[in-house]
Amino acid sequence: MTGVLVEPQEEVVGTCSESIVWIDQVDTADAVAAAGSKIGRLTELHRAGVTVPQGFAVTVDAYLRHCAESGLDARIEAALKDLGPTPSEAEVAAASARIRALVEETPMSPALEAEITEAYEDLCLRAVDVNVPTAVRSSATGEDAADASFAGIFDTYLGVSGPDRVLTAVRACWGSLFTGRALAYRLRKGISHHAMPIAVGVIELVHARASGVAFSVHPVTGKPDRIVVETSWGWGEAIVQGLVDPDHVEIGKADGRVLRYDVAHKAVVSAFDFAAGRVTEIEMPAKLADRQVLDEEQIGAIVEAVTAIEEHYGYPVDVEWVIDRHRRAGDPITIVQSRPVTVTAQQTAPAAYDPVALAQKFVFSGKPIPGR
Amino acid sequence: MANVVPLDEYTGEWYPGFRPEFLASPFIVDGTGPFTKDDEDKFWFLDFHWSRGLTPLAAFTWGQDGYCWGTQHAAEGLPLPPGRGVTSRFAGTHLYGSAIPETDPREIGARANRLGTTLPRFLQNYQQTWAAGRDELEATWAYFHGLDLAQVPTAELPGLLDQARRYHKRSMEIHFDVMYPLLVNFLGFYGACAEMGIDTADIGKFLQGEDTKIMETDRGLAELAVKAKRAGLRQVFEDNEGSAIRAALSAHGGSASQWLTDFDDFLQVYGHRQEATCDVGVPSWIEDNTIPLDMIRSFVLKETDHDFEAAARNAVEEREAAIEAARSGLTREEQAVFDAGLRSNQEANFPWWQDDHNYYIDLKVMIPLRRVTQELAARVGADDRNDLLHLFWPELRAVAEGRAYHGELKSLVADRRQYFDHWGALRGQMPKVLGTVPETVEDPVLIEIFGLNPASIRAMQNPDAAAETTLTGVAAAKGIATGPARVLQSSDDMHRLEPGSILVCESTSPSWTPAFGKIAGAVCDGGGMLSHAAIVGREYGVPTVTAVGVATVAIADGDQIEVDGTNGKVTILKRASEIADAAADGEAAG
Repeated sequence: MTGVLVEPQEEVVGTCSESIVWIDQVDTADAVAAAGSKIGRLTELHRAGVTVPQGFAVTVDAYLRHCAESGLDARIEAALKDLGPTPSEAEVAAASARIRALVEETPMSPALEAEITEAYEDLCLRAVDVNVPTAVRSSATGEDAADASFAGIFDTYLGVSGPDRVLTAVRACWGSLFTGRALAYRLRKGISHHAMPIAVGVIELVHARASGVAFSVHPVTGKPDRIVVETSWGWGEAIVQGLVDPDHVEIGKADGRVLRYDVAHKAVVSAFDFAAGRVTEIEMPAKLADRQVLDEEQIGAIVEAVTAIEEHYGYPVDVEWVIDRHRRAGDPITIVQSRPVTVTAQQTAPAAYDPVALAQKFVFSGKPIPGR
Repeated sequence: MANVVPLDEYTGEWYPGFRPEFLASPFIVDGTGPFTKDDEDKFWFLDFHWSRGLTPLAAFTWGQDGYCWGTQHAAEGLPLPPGRGVTSRFAGTHLYGSAIPETDPREIGARANRLGTTLPRFLQNYQQTWAAGRDELEATWAYFHGLDLAQVPTAELPGLLDQARRYHKRSMEIHFDVMYPLLVNFLGFYGACAEMGIDTADIGKFLQGEDTKIMETDRGLAELAVKAKRAGLRQVFEDNEGSAIRAALSAHGGSASQWLTDFDDFLQVYGHRQEATCDVGVPSWIEDNTIPLDMIRSFVLKETDHDFEAAARNAVEEREAAIEAARSGLTREEQAVFDAGLRSNQEANFPWWQDDHNYYIDLKVMIPLRRVTQELAARVGADDRNDLLHLFWPELRAVAEGRAYHGELKSLVADRRQYFDHWGALRGQMPKVLGTVPETVEDPVLIEIFGLNPASIRAMQNPDAAAETTLTGVAAAKGIATGPARVLQSSDDMHRLEPGSILVCESTSPSWTPAFGKIAGAVCDGGGMLSHAAIVGREYGVPTVTAVGVATVAIADGDQIEVDGTNGKVTILKRASEIADAAADGEAAG
């Protein structure tokens, strides 16, 4: 891995247990099983030398034990029984609301609460901060394919600060395993929710100047010769949820040259609401809306990280990244999520100018030439 | 004495019931002819190249030997996988074209395989192939040019007619054998560029800035204009028009005599040129000086001389800038494809060839047949040397073989002349499309060169086209211009273009090029991004909109119009009739 350096940790605070694993402590081999794929991959990236935020996960095991010991399992089972084999959309929605309420109301065991609280306090110590704001993210288990179809379906809470709010957010993330869409998917596929338990990551919230997504291939055409970046000011939620029209950047993979930079009018921004203690979407300040978000140095750092991650996994990836408010030129950017890219088309880069193939494609295919 | 083995005993009746048409299977798929009811299931478009209409001899020689034979020969030779060339039909004197599709999937596949071998081979050998074809045609041209027709025995005229027809037919084989693969390569590159996100409006620029014989001709005309001004002849050009200029110059004497000598020297090189594509019915510049003299006149009367060198420099600079801009947005892998495609297309440059070949082929190859036909007319005592252009080929051959040209045949010619004029006057009302009109055509030649895109096909079927005041088309050359419209049926009317006027016509061809030196804008019924008007409009910086479909129907001569070549829009600001009424009111008031 080139260029992306890790700061050596002088003092390690926080230890792993059955219920809690730290991103930088858990064995890579166990990480995905214990912390779900989203958080588990952060461990893999950390080991590979990519800069990721610090944090821990409330493990799959903790979730399973909580469900069994609190009696949640039985109550969920009962709610699902009522559904029958082919429930209507409304029935699914009603069951989803019922189960999510159950999961959010059911208290954790005092022991688990204490463990999570202590881990959170350790995170504050690591950050040398009081009530450090965190991102509380659902981290599902299962195949990459399932992971992909569930992308964005489970909840993430940004800016959660203080132990009580963290505990509430963890329960809410557990509940998001039972959203209407997730329930419907599992019913259709005949998968039990036991087969895909969930972990929850509690991660230091990076103070974002700008955030975005980056694809190591073109996400629509599948062209593998370019990196595509979409970005806006503040946190990435507005981009991920499609609430803002982001700046669009394409970079040649072979030479890191910016091929195009389309500055968008960014009407909405995910910003930290200090009163509510969370990140929320507000109107973009007029002076920032039409301003180009990234400079060349920042683009270079994003490209470096994305390329390194793709090389590490050996397949095209799609990542969420953040530029810390305190980042200086030359520093790496922070990766908060990574997964295999899902592209709608598979297109290989043209290897050579082939007049015969081009004639077949554009002249004799019976279709009009593109762009006409 | 040569030994002749008689074969008489082998002639006569063959298999029982055999009829000659059983074996009448010419190479071409479909020849020309007048429309029949059976043609209704095909899509026919009025071909803008022949807006004057075609005489019987022109209809046969071009319609059959050029349009059908040339395209169909090349479509088999390359081959074009899903197409077998084009065919033609006549409505009165007006030529309509239709593409011949190949629909059998296996046959298309087999043809595609052949293309896989032939196209790369053609591209590798293009320079030599085109040079050899050009040399062959120039050699035949030199042969005809060297003939003193007046001294040729009458008995040799039938043979000469055959040779002249064969020269044209052969030129069309060479023409389409080169044009199809050049075009296919160019459109493939065009598609690759479009797919890589390059602005398609810029693709034409990548290949511009190469000198052609047509541009060389235009420079020669401009130089003659400069010479005329230096020789103090400006007034003569100002006071006269067309062929009257020649008479006035002869009368002027002195410096004008030297100028006429220079002019005739120029014509000996560049004047073997007709103002139409392969139309035996049209005179050459040498035969009729009107067009070159009017072109020179328009150069003489211009305030500032057109700076050809600056225009050429600009074209090159614009080309290099466009290439640089396109490359900067491509990945390194894409750049490799783009660079190779660009090299291939610079080597085998379709837009360049599209202009240059006209000098060697389209504007010249009918001249020998025309001259032999005129010589024959003189010998058979025709009233007009162009009478025999109104015969069909077998009739012409018969006259050359000794059939008397009087009585029936002569009155037939008189009737056909009337027929020609009658239909010529109807040109503006001819439907632009006939038969079974599709919503879209898929043949890129029809789209990119003829401009038959879905919008223009729709516009052509609009029954209220004449009342429309806003028209849309292909944004062929950028910029906005406003001026009085000059609606011209053919380049014969080009002298009607004043500086600042806007040319409105069915389409342009190389004979129109000098017009772009003085017009403010151009609007054409036909023509895509690769049409002559689009290419020349870009080179001359004249805002141009093509493929409007019904410009010549909706716009009247003298209408004040705006051409928006950036957005492909034409607006009729004020009707000529309103302008005339206002002028009349003004006069009445004054």
